[in-house]
Amino acid sequence: MTADVHIKAVEHRFNSFTALHRVDLQIAAGEFIVLLGPSGCGKTTLLSIIGGFLTPSEGQVLIGGRDMTHVAPKDRPTTTMFQDYALFPHMSLRDNVAFGLRMRGMAKAARNAKALEMLDMVGLADKAARRPHELSGGQRQRVALARALAVEPDVLLLDEPLGALDLKLRRQMQEELKAIQRRVGTTFVHVTHDQEEAMAIADRIVVMNHGRIEHCGTPEEVYLTPKTMFSADFMGETNRIPVSPAAEGVTSPLGPLAIPPAEGMLCLRPESIGFAGEFSLGRATLVEAAFYGSYHRCHFRPVAAPDLLLTAHLPQGEHPRPGAEVELFGRNPVVLSPKAKAAA
Amino acid sequence: MKYLSLAYLVALFGFILLPVVTLVIFSFQDGRLPVPPFKGVTFEWYAKILTDRAMMEALGNSLIVALLSSLVALTLGFLAASGLARVVLPGSVLMRGLLIAPMTVSYLIIALGLLQMFNKIGIRPSLLATGIGHVVINLPLCFAILYAAIGEHQKSALKAARDLGAREWQVLWFVAAPMLTPALAAAFFLAFTFSWDEFIIAFLLTRFDVTLPVEIWSMLRSGLSPATNAVGSLVFLVSVIVVVTLELTLFRKGSK
Repeated sequence: MTADVHIKAVEHRFNSFTALHRVDLQIAAGEFIVLLGPSGCGKTTLLSIIGGFLTPSEGQVLIGGRDMTHVAPKDRPTTTMFQDYALFPHMSLRDNVAFGLRMRGMAKAARNAKALEMLDMVGLADKAARRPHELSGGQRQRVALARALAVEPDVLLLDEPLGALDLKLRRQMQEELKAIQRRVGTTFVHVTHDQEEAMAIADRIVVMNHGRIEHCGTPEEVYLTPKTMFSADFMGETNRIPVSPAAEGVTSPLGPLAIPPAEGMLCLRPESIGFAGEFSLGRATLVEAAFYGSYHRCHFRPVAAPDLLLTAHLPQGEHPRPGAEVELFGRNPVVLSPKAKAAA
Repeated sequence: MKYLSLAYLVALFGFILLPVVTLVIFSFQDGRLPVPPFKGVTFEWYAKILTDRAMMEALGNSLIVALLSSLVALTLGFLAASGLARVVLPGSVLMRGLLIAPMTVSYLIIALGLLQMFNKIGIRPSLLATGIGHVVINLPLCFAILYAAIGEHQKSALKAARDLGAREWQVLWFVAAPMLTPALAAAFFLAFTFSWDEFIIAFLLTRFDVTLPVEIWSMLRSGLSPATNAVGSLVFLVSVIVVVTLELTLFRKGSK
């Protein structure tokens, strides 16, 4: 069961505070969408509006082509996996998972069979008779997922479900979530403030800030060719070099650079700077280097602009020596105007 | 210092328990008056009480009134608490205040008010009137206990139940009530003991069928007797049983 979601010019205000500014978003059926942004950006508000826990001040929510703007959560083809899991402490895992089916009037034998099947999917079939308090955080989380999926919703809403887990478990659960989403084909809308998590699981990432969508695209697009300074910064570290157009390429504090002419800030990811690349960044002195396991993190001071500091992540094999002067090259240049606001 | 605090403890419990202990001891008094000296043990007064028809009727009335009024107060308090916990309305604070307000009014004032109003609308002083009075005093208590017990955790479980397709009565019956069982039981037993012990409202709002405290009062008017001590001990025993049951079942479970 799956359906597309269409958010049409949705605006939401809490008293005098506007949480969402006329947001438009199309989510295809079966897509894994991640709403990403800092706290207070409106991502949870948007999720609550899709789930029916909030009615938008203006605009429409269409699920599977039907207007759901004023429909109560219980009558929507959506279920939510809550941040604190919200399991029923007085019920066994099987009864927790079967709850939605029971509310839909399914007979006991049938719903128990379905619940066991769902628990099996998340690897907890042997614990069906246990109570939630006997489980670890990761297991509770799996039960919450099984419970939300048992009623075969068209759209599953996930409200920072991995927030309470430790890093290792979080990585594991991200992979499981992705695999389960592939299997059931349900549209997933997942909220998080962790950009690595977003990139790991999303088909498309929606970067939000101050109640607006800054950028909406695949993880590669959002990371490598961000549309705004905010999404460039939020998705990861960047080096910023002011540039202005010249006869050929651009001028910059580093000297002329061979990239398409543009006015604004040249943003380069640390891993886009190295000893080889598409264009030269001129000569620079290595100030500091630290070994981070999978890469060396190096700070370079350009000869042409000693007050600028460039951060580069160099591959393991290359052994930089502090004080050495080398020529640096860049890849994947993105020039953004600091004032550019997202129109999407 | 250690002995001083020990002495304080002994004095404290002495003051609290000595009157009760005295009452219980002299209910076994083998004599006409429940005052020292203690003349010997007899169960005569208990036998007298237990075969006294008016007394036993009053005891039955008290049980019925306590049971029904606590159930009604509990139901109303539960509905009010879960409703107010679910939505934030502009007047929420005011509504909560209004629900708790009867707690601050003395039982005498409540009884007088009810007496006048019942007269006006034609409800005669009776067990029903007393029961309504007890709902009035116990509803704020039940509401306060249950409202305090609904935390963020409970709220999000209720939200999840609605999200999974439960109607409002199903949310209350299948999720809210089971999750709040300890608080529901605590509220019920407290309401029960308050109704069981209550005198002023019962005194003013009953006439022919009376509750136990009213019956004891009329018995006291004919002077002291070990029989009043005996019935007092019985009333005390019921309260103790309720409290101990509560302690052993619910509060022990909660601390696990």
